[in-house]
Amino acid sequence: MKTYFPKQEEIEKKWYVVDADGAVLGRLAARLADILRGKNKPTFTPHMDTGDFVIVINAEKVKLTGNKLNKKMYERHSGYPGGLKVMNARTMLSRKPEEVIYLAVKGMLPKNILGRHILKKLKVYRGNEHPHKAQMPIQLEIKEVYGA
Amino acid sequence: MPRAKRGFKARRRRKKILKLAKGMYASRRTTYSVAKRAVFKSLSYAYKDRRLEKRDFRSLWIVRINAACRAHGLSYSRFINGLKIANIGLNRKSLAEMAAKDPIGFEAVIAKVKQVLP
Repeated sequence: MKTYFPKQEEIEKKWYVVDADGAVLGRLAARLADILRGKNKPTFTPHMDTGDFVIVINAEKVKLTGNKLNKKMYERHSGYPGGLKVMNARTMLSRKPEEVIYLAVKGMLPKNILGRHILKKLKVYRGNEHPHKAQMPIQLEIKEVYGA
Repeated sequence: MPRAKRGFKARRRRKKILKLAKGMYASRRTTYSVAKRAVFKSLSYAYKDRRLEKRDFRSLWIVRINAACRAHGLSYSRFINGLKIANIGLNRKSLAEMAAKDPIGFEAVIAKVKQVLP
């Protein structure tokens, strides 16, 4: 008997909505990464994208523990001399709350083409609204998101 | 005694290597000296990976079983512990197969395991 490998068209991809209000960033991101990769399914296949789509709302209300709001730094470099831009989590959350969640999840996904592909299934929005009503996403509770 | 020329053996030896190098990139396929190195390396990878294959698959089965158990509120380690107590001798390969293809059967196993777990 050969181990089961799903065919591309056999993979069923659902849509979920997660409310980030009051969720701790890293814990939330870990669960999101698992759902996006499909590690919560018995058909998980490492070389394929078996995961579901996830919509995150209220991104700006995500929680950081300890002193991370001031101390956690987001750095990027333009490539030019003196081109380092530094922002702490507090400013990042007020300016680009979506980016905070994207970056946290991105770091927990495989660093390869498949990983970048999987990240595209994550949709993050500030506020209560999202433009994916047509996909009829299922609401996931924070408690469920943290897993059994 | 008839005369034996040495070209024959040498050609056979080189052809043997070049045959194994089919499908490789550029001079790795065409040039004997490069192909020889590439083929030796590929054979050693093949030897290693035939052994790794067994471990890789086992870990994949474990990931799948874990996912299936957690959907029923049971972690992998507790599940395996329960199997032992309940004296169920299914191996990880068939359990993973059941989890993916026969969820009802897998649920029956879960129910048995939950009975014996404290």
